[in-house]
Formats: sequence, C-alpha cells, structure tokens
Amino acid sequence: MECALDAQSLISISLRKIHSSRTQRGGIKLHKNLLVSYVLRNARQLYLSERYAELYRRQQQQQQQQPPHHQHQHLAYAAPGMPASAADFGPLQLGGGGDAEAREPAARHQLHQLHQLHQLHLQQQLHQHQHPAPRGCAAAAGAPAGGAGALSELPGCAALQPPHGAPHRGQPLEPLQPGPAPLPLPLPPAPAALCPRDPRAPAACSAPSAPPGAAPPAATASPPASPAPASSPGFYRGAYPAPSDFGVHCSSQTTVLDLDTHVVTTVENGYLHQDCCASAHCPCCGQGAPGPGLASAAGCKRKYYPGQEEEDDDEEDAGELGAEPPGGAPFAPCKRARFEDFCPDSSPDASNISNLISIFGSGFSGLVSRQPDSSEQPPPLNGQLCAKQALASLGAWTRAIVAF
Amino acid sequence: MRAGGGNDIQWCFSQVKGAVDDDVAEADIISTVEFNHSGELLATGDKGGRVVIFQQEQENKIQSHSRGEYNVYSTFQSHEPEFDYLKSLEIEEKINKIRWLPQKNAAQFLLSTNDKTIKLWKISERDKRPEGYNLKEEDGRYRDPTTVTTLRVPVFRPMDLMVEASPRRIFANAHTYHINSISINSDYETYLSADDLRINLWHLEITDRSFNIVDIKPANMEELTEVITAAEFHPNSCNTFVYSSSKGTIRLCDMRASALCDRHSKLFEEPEDPSNRSFFSEIISSISDVKFSHSGRYMMTRDYLSVKIWDLNMENRPVETYQVHEYLRSKLCSLYENDCIFDKFECCWNGSDSVVMTGSYNNFFRMFDRNTKRDITLEASRENNKPRTVLKPRKVCASGKRKKDEISVDSLDFNKKILHTAWHPKENIIAVATTNNLYIFQDKVN
Repeated sequence: MECALDAQSLISISLRKIHSSRTQRGGIKLHKNLLVSYVLRNARQLYLSERYAELYRRQQQQQQQQPPHHQHQHLAYAAPGMPASAADFGPLQLGGGGDAEAREPAARHQLHQLHQLHQLHLQQQLHQHQHPAPRGCAAAAGAPAGGAGALSELPGCAALQPPHGAPHRGQPLEPLQPGPAPLPLPLPPAPAALCPRDPRAPAACSAPSAPPGAAPPAATASPPASPAPASSPGFYRGAYPAPSDFGVHCSSQTTVLDLDTHVVTTVENGYLHQDCCASAHCPCCGQGAPGPGLASAAGCKRKYYPGQEEEDDDEEDAGELGAEPPGGAPFAPCKRARFEDFCPDSSPDASNISNLISIFGSGFSGLVSRQPDSSEQPPPLNGQLCAKQALASLGAWTRAIVAF
Repeated sequence: MRAGGGNDIQWCFSQVKGAVDDDVAEADIISTVEFNHSGELLATGDKGGRVVIFQQEQENKIQSHSRGEYNVYSTFQSHEPEFDYLKSLEIEEKINKIRWLPQKNAAQFLLSTNDKTIKLWKISERDKRPEGYNLKEEDGRYRDPTTVTTLRVPVFRPMDLMVEASPRRIFANAHTYHINSISINSDYETYLSADDLRINLWHLEITDRSFNIVDIKPANMEELTEVITAAEFHPNSCNTFVYSSSKGTIRLCDMRASALCDRHSKLFEEPEDPSNRSFFSEIISSISDVKFSHSGRYMMTRDYLSVKIWDLNMENRPVETYQVHEYLRSKLCSLYENDCIFDKFECCWNGSDSVVMTGSYNNFFRMFDRNTKRDITLEASRENNKPRTVLKPRKVCASGKRKKDEISVDSLDFNKKILHTAWHPKENIIAVATTNNLYIFQDKVN
C-alpha cells in the first residue's frame, strides 16, 4: 500500500493522469482534472521549496568562502534580466549592486516577477505565519524593515551587515503578496514528514556567526532557530531565494481553450528559470545545480539552444559562478522540436503551446493551427520530462484546467 | 415504519441481482440506484445505458417473510453512445442519475440522464390486448375479405403483462460540461440539471429551452478553482435548492431572489483542520453527494472520508460528522495512484431521517444512527447468500494488532466499492450496489 510520497513522483503521476484523461471515453472530466491540478500544484510547491532550500544552502556555503567585494561584483553584475549568475544567489544578490539606481529598476523588475509567481502562496502564508506586511512592497521601497530579507531588493551592503539585517534574521522568508487575480486554494503546509529540509536547521544558521565582512547576504534572511510555529510547517520554510529571482527571462504564457466559446486566450505566467533549465547544463543558469530529483534527467540527451547560448555569453564571463559550460537544453529529443524556440523573447505563445501540446498530445490541433510554427507532431509522452516541464512552468500548473 | 436505527435492527440478506462471474463486463457496472416514492419500484442504471426496474411483489401474508421480493419489471435502453462531431468527443451512455416522478396515473415516469442528455421515460403496463379482428388473423396475417362471412366486435382479452417504456421527452443540448445531478422540484412541474459549471431549470413539458440559474464559469478558465459536484431541490420549498462544490462548500439558493442564482443565500462551509493538510486535501474535501433529509430541515454531504449532517439554519459547521473510513487517511497517496481517491460515494437517509447510510470499499457499507450515535459496517457479499441470514457486523483494523474477524486495511479490496445505495422511503429495505450486482437487504422480521 505504500507509495512514494515525494513531489517528483506525484508530479509525474499527476501528469500521466491528465494525459490519459484525454483519451478516456466521455471526454475530459473537468472535475477530476481540476483535482489533479491541485495535487500538481501542491507537489510542485513542495518540490520547489526543497530545491530552494538546497540551492540556498549551497549558495550560503559559497558566500562564506568568498570575500565581500567579490560578492559586490556579483551583485553589480546581476542586473535584471540576467539571472544567469543568480542561480545560486541568495535573494540579496539579485537586483544589482550597491547603488540605488541599479537597485530600483531591478527591484521593480524582481517585484514584478515575484508578483507573477507567488500569487498562490501569499494569503496562506501570511495567515499562517502572521508575518508583517508583504515584503514586496517594502522591498521595492528599499526599506530593510518589513522582513524583506528574502528579496533581491535589499542592497548588497545591507546584506553584508548582519546587524542591520538583524530584525530580519528572525523571520523566515516569505513569498510576496498576491496579485489581484483570483487564485486556487492557497499554499498548504506540508506535513512535517514531507519537508525534510528545514531551513531552520543549523546549517542554514551558520551565516550569522560568520564575520560581518564575509557574511553571506542571505544571513539577513536566514531564520536561525526561528520560533515559527511547528504546527504549520510550510512548503516555504523561508530562507529560500525567491523562485522568481531566477525567472526573469523565462516568463511565458499559458494558452487556454474555452470549451464553450472555443476562444483561445493567453495569459501571462512566469517560469521558474532554474527549473526550466533543470540541469547542470543550462547555459542561462551559470552554475545551475541539479536539485533533488533531477538526477533522473541525467540520462537524457540535451539539445543545444543556440539562442540562449548567445544571450548568455556575456553572463558566462561572470566567471566564478558560471562554472558549468553551456550544455544546451534540459529537454530531451522526444520533446517537440518546438522547444528550440523556447526562449520567450521570440515566441511565448508558441513555446507554451508546444508545452501543452507535447503534454497533451495531438488533441489540441485547433491550437496548433493558430500557431503556424507549431506544426510538428507531438512527441510521445515522457512522464519524467513532463515533470521537468511542469516544474519549469510555475504559472501554468497553478491554475486549474489549462487548455481544457 | 419500524422505530430504531441501524443498530437496533438486524439486517438480513434478501436478494442479489446480477451476474455471478467475477469478470465484470463494463456495461454491467451499476451507476445509479433509486427507489420510487412508494418504494414499490427500484430502478438501476448502468454504464451500458440501460435502465432496469424491479417491482416489489405484493405482500403475501401466507409466506414467512413479510415483505415482497423485488423482481425485474422492465428493462430498456435509455441512452446510447453518441459522438459530438464538433468537439470530437464521445458522449458516454452511462446513466449518471435516475429520478422518479410521483405517480399521477397508472403509468410511472422517471428521468434518466447521461453526461449530456436527460430523458423522461413513461413506463406503462399492458395486460390486455384486443382480439377478434375481422380482417386479420390472430397472428396478424390479413384475411381474404371474401372469406369473411360474419362480423364480430373485437374484445380485450387478458394477456401476459407487458411493461413498455417509451421516451416522452428528450432534454438535450443544454449542457456543455458533464451532467452530475438531476433533481425534481416539489412542484412536480420543473426540475434542475447540474453540470460541472452550470445548473439549468427545466419544465417537464418543454424540451426546447431551459433557464440557466447558476453559472460559476469564470471569464477566464484559467481562474477556475471549483466545480459543481451535486445539486438538489429542497423537498418542500419549491424555490430552494442547494449545490455542492469540489471545494467542500454547499450553497443554498433561493430562486425568488433573482433569475440567476449566482449569489447564494447561504454558504455552508466548515473551516479546514490545518493539521490534516496534505497533498490531497483538496481532493478529499470535494463533496461527492448532497441529499436533503425528508423533513427538509437537514442536509447530508459526503466527501471522501466522511459524512456530514448540516442544519440548514447553521452555516459555519455541520451539526454531525461521521467518519466513514478514517483509516484511509494514511493511504491517500496509494489511493491517488490507483484513482480510488476520485471515487464518488453517495449517501442516503432512511425514511425517518434517523439513520444515514453510505458505501465504502471491500463491498462494505456503513450506517450511522443519529440518535444512538452508533454505527455499523456491513458487507455485501454472496457469501451471506441465504435469505434471512443476518449480516454480521464487520470491522476494519486500522493498525496494530488485528483481532479475529477483523480485516486489516491492507487487505481491503479497493476494486470492490459501493458507491450507490438507496433506502426504501417507508420500510427498512435497502438496495446496495456493488460493481455489477444489486443487493437487497431488509431488517429481520420475527
């Protein structure tokens, strides 16, 4: 009777269910697929929180080894739109260096990303943790108060001064306020057993003890021995870099087919860059770290993404962080060739539609015909790869039935 | 009506209908069970689109068992598989619900529905036929007129009872999504049909139009967060109906308030217990059935693990909650994998609203006595095959040591599920549907 209650397998199972529901007699069952999408969302949230914990911990270790000025370099380099070097950054490293101007646009940009991606988690988190006002707004204002430790908006210098960040240390990071859009059920806390990584573990708390100069920026955000209620273990335990920090150039759109009116609508979404790249070989991510569960993708062939490669050439000069060579896409050949256009700058509609089509097979020929490019045959469903895809598309799977 | 609840009375096996083989033909899977208003007729619908109606024999005081048996009365094909060419969708012929109309004349009427189309069927008896035609032989061949020498008047002669079912109305093309409920209004002139996102109001005489009274479809389907899972008219107030959602809420609407009842009059919702949060919280809180009590004072909802009784006057929590199979809470992941977590169990009241019943796995079904607060688990199995065999209560051992006669959670057969049960409106007779068999149990008569 036992089954693996890990996020990755749940996501695979859920995707398989959605896919097979297409071929079942009687058509797509809206109710069942809605429920499956909730499981998908829950599993993905857990998966992401685990990933972030891992990334954050790794990045913290890095920070401890690097001198502060070096970090400033990174900060200066990590302008918005170039999250390549941000893969392992703590939130404070994003958004540019110490000067306010660099911060502001970055802050606004990051804020926008965060808004897009964290709509789901806000209300629940806020209710449960009873934390003060949303970081996003506080962060955008550049004010360190308000527990914005998680965000990139904090100036790098502030990050390096633990005393300033002291008020934040005690607060676990939280996602931002939700956007105005109505949402599915808010983020549920996972049972403690499901969240093996606790950011309140000692490892994450090593930062404050480091000398101020070398303190990792994330120290401001780490919640050492935080008195957060044990009764509400959250998917987001805090101290994680916000997923949107990585997602700058991976935003995309979701396309929905309305059964009644047969209208195809496209909605903005955000992608988790870290996950859409999903492997150590992502050219955009610099030192993209394979998170838990991604080891399974190791055996897949990679496709080379010339487009992304060019774009990230500059970022690779960041050097220290760009240790990994650009290796091409994490998506296996059995994905539609469409993915070469995955870069959202070129054709967000096409990429997302190809996402959907490759997951759901050829049933959406109506959508395909609207996109002249998307004319290849859908690949056979690969549960594993679709899991990657689902993880990559933060926004798309938070909703109910996409393209039903 | 006998007093006492599910535990004061002893339930005995009475009959079982259906094939004996373990190999179940998909078309034979029972998908709905419903007694008519008198309890004399019992209708079942199956996945193959057929309706089978059983009729209770008249009580025979001479025989030892006081209640008549149910025998097949009529069988007909209600719905056929269809194909929607516009959307390239196959429409299943599976009968989702049957609802009887109260009897007004010699004929019986029922509504049956599949995913898209509702049909009104007239079931009538014919036990006489005209005989003695002049121009026709008894077998129907025409006689040569020149051989006719005398004339006679045809007369009605008794014949073997023939039960005919004919479709009187077909209510089609009103639902984009899958119909999950139909409910006849207490005015006996109108009825509602509910799909995932909309509820329509029909007049029984009018098939070419219906009123949409609830529409929860969001402007942007991406924002869809819940669907309608069941709907029912109030048994006494013809302006009141309720509908349940996949989020575990029930909305009571008053049709007098506005033409479109998108704004509820009452919202019944119990706050979620945060300590029970899991990946599957949304699934197990989805309500699979809602039923008003006969009195109209209460309503009962069934979600995956429990049955809740709500007082219509109290919206913030149910007045009673009964755990059906709480031992499954730790198995939700496996149940998700094998799709059992999506099973939609129904529930029903007894005639006096004192006992409620619902199904479970391993062909178990459960009864909860609201007065004594006792519950009982029984099994529908051909092993207890002899009539008037008293059913032995069953017990599931959740963990730890398994006592004798208990069954452990891991040995439960999740393919044997009882989704549909019905209780005679007046007597202690229950109809319990396993996958492809219909069991009838009655209380022990001394």
